[in-house]
Amino acid sequence: MDMKKIGLFAAGVLFGTAGLKVLGSKDAKKVYAQTTAAALRAKDSVMTTVTAVREGADDIYAEAQAINDQRAQAEAESVIEDTSGEAEESKAE
Amino acid sequence: MKCTIQHDLPGRLRVHLCCGRMTLSQADVLEYYLLAVEGVESVKVYDRTQDAVVVYNGVRGRVLRALAAFSFAKAERMELVPEHTSRALNREFEDKLAVTVMCRCLSRLFLPLPITSALAVLRSAKYIREGLLALRHRKLSVAVLDGTAVAVSILRGDYNTAGSVMFMLRLGEILEEWTHKKSVADLASAMSLKVDKVWLRAEGTEVLTDVRSVRPGDHIVIRTGGMIPLDGKVVEGEAMVNQSSLTGESMPVAKRPGSPVYAGTVAEEGECVISVEKASGSGRYDRVVQMIEESEKLKSTAEDKAARMADRLVPYTLGGTALTYLVTRNVTKMLAVLMVDFSCALKLAIPIAVLSAMRESAGYHISVKGGRFLEAMAKADTIVFDKTGTLTYATPTVAAIVPFGGQQEAEMLRLAACLEEHYPHSMANAVVEEAKRRGLSHEEYHSQVQYVVAHGISSMVEEKKVIIGSAHFVFEDEGCRVPEGEQEKFDAIPAAYSHLYLCIDGVLAAVLCIHDPLRREAREAVKALHDSGFSNVVMMTGDNRRTAESVSREVGVDAFYAEVLPEDKAAFIRAEKAKGHTVIMVGDGVNDSPALSEADAGIAISTGAAIAREIADITIASENLFELVILRRLSQALMGRIHGSYRFIVGFNLSLIALGVAGILPPTTSALLHNGSTLGISLKNMTDLLDEDTAAQT
Repeated sequence: MDMKKIGLFAAGVLFGTAGLKVLGSKDAKKVYAQTTAAALRAKDSVMTTVTAVREGADDIYAEAQAINDQRAQAEAESVIEDTSGEAEESKAE
Repeated sequence: MKCTIQHDLPGRLRVHLCCGRMTLSQADVLEYYLLAVEGVESVKVYDRTQDAVVVYNGVRGRVLRALAAFSFAKAERMELVPEHTSRALNREFEDKLAVTVMCRCLSRLFLPLPITSALAVLRSAKYIREGLLALRHRKLSVAVLDGTAVAVSILRGDYNTAGSVMFMLRLGEILEEWTHKKSVADLASAMSLKVDKVWLRAEGTEVLTDVRSVRPGDHIVIRTGGMIPLDGKVVEGEAMVNQSSLTGESMPVAKRPGSPVYAGTVAEEGECVISVEKASGSGRYDRVVQMIEESEKLKSTAEDKAARMADRLVPYTLGGTALTYLVTRNVTKMLAVLMVDFSCALKLAIPIAVLSAMRESAGYHISVKGGRFLEAMAKADTIVFDKTGTLTYATPTVAAIVPFGGQQEAEMLRLAACLEEHYPHSMANAVVEEAKRRGLSHEEYHSQVQYVVAHGISSMVEEKKVIIGSAHFVFEDEGCRVPEGEQEKFDAIPAAYSHLYLCIDGVLAAVLCIHDPLRREAREAVKALHDSGFSNVVMMTGDNRRTAESVSREVGVDAFYAEVLPEDKAAFIRAEKAKGHTVIMVGDGVNDSPALSEADAGIAISTGAAIAREIADITIASENLFELVILRRLSQALMGRIHGSYRFIVGFNLSLIALGVAGILPPTTSALLHNGSTLGISLKNMTDLLDEDTAAQT
């Protein structure tokens, strides 16, 4: 029976009585609440960031679509329509 | 409200609202406020960032002015938001998913190994217990496989693998619950649509009253086709009540004096007086939700098949595991087989595909009451239309009134309106509207309606028996006759109209010609339906043969049936089903309800009678027949996706097993690939099935 074991035993007794009291005490509960609140805030801020990223991605996607629409329109405008048939028809009339 | 523009494109705007925190209900208020602005096509409000994305095709200035004029208090008073939105529900499950994923990431990054191991052991208890329970019930289900995989990993001290298996299972559970809750909520909010007016009986007369002003103890009258808006007890009369919205049972139940009736059920036939027990607004929505959950109406057979298929694969997987061990005597190879578990992939990917399709269809104003109806829609080869209100506009008008036997035109219209008022059908509405338009009041006539059947109404007015209805009802069932010497006039009535016949004391008194114009898009829509694989498009109508023939030629249907009774419609559908066809019924009125419930999927155009909405499996809120084509494409795309996922999951995982047994892949890699592929296919199944272009084409 050396001092170390006795020390451990004493620490155990101390924890079993006073320690549990401290862990279950009002002040400790306040600490828990604060920690949980911080965790929830962290979660919310992560979710907000995710939302912001999603919005940004949506913006980029919408913009990309607009660019392609513009290109398609520009291409359509750069084509000169074949009206030879119409001209002949009008001649025939 | 002060806003800043974050992103600006022609036709699309993202603004940030300077309002500080935004609650979920405020986000809803904003969303529905903006949707009500003219020219706005779609709105997405992100409450977390207080941002709103507005897609519009109108004037940009109008959107900006609407935003500037917006305030939460003012918009809330406008009462634009429906009673229940799915925002809170989606938030709950998004959060659950996010928390699960975050916890997993954090614990893998920061928690020391002993603690994660201990946590894994703790959590594994649940899966092992479920596996044992399934075994005790002598079922070799997926739970057994899950339990075995988790238990073996734990026993081998491979806490990491056990953890990731359980993580995937947990994700699957959350998603499955989300699917279920979401479809129930959508269904319930579609079903708890209010009937605004009821016939209140007070001092011998019946008055049309707002349902909210009905008090417990009041007596209300319910007739054929009417929805019972409040809980109560029958005190008089008898009715067959369809309680399928509550019990899922499609056979109507007879209600006699003393029987209780429940809000949300529908009187299919008969008439009764109900003593109200509970005023409106007492938790109807919640009750509906509860009752749907009790009835297993929702499960898609594809989902079922996925679950069954997963169960069926279990013995093979277990057998394969044992065989591998026996042949190779190598635990690593054995685990490679066990770790590749088809179940979570099937259980995850397919419900997600169904949910996403239901969400997508809601975007097209189509509400679907369950995955299996999408399946029926994809498979169907026969579609039956009830003419009035579906192929034609829902608002017919009275074109002419031809009086007989020396009667006055106005007088006859008044009488007809007085009867038709009690009947929820578009033709009846036309008569009532016409009377209103001509300023004919008919209150003094308030009569005792004797009975209402599918094709007509009979009543006593001033000691005389008055009936109104179809030719079949009036001339054959009731034996009325055309007055002497007027047969010629009777024959000359134009056939292009639908007709209502009014008789007094057995003699024809007037014919009301109802003009029921075809929908502009009807022809094109029928053609598109043919192109999308319907081989048989059928039109049914209670109208006379000549009218029906000319309409059917115009629309281009394959077959038509004129002068049909409601039973005939249902019988036709039964016969087609017996021939092995899958039949879709599209209708809007009271007389369609037997056919709607008989069909593999009944579709109601939601401007129709309450009963059609209640019984129908799919409701289309839009006034466009092309929605049917969109629905068809969507459901076919969904079935394609489900089968594709199926083949992919089985094929991919089988090759994983083969590679594992061959010793090319170690168990952890195969588990990683397996989980990765599951996640990938689930994400893919969340995307839209139809792109905007295909939807726009239709």
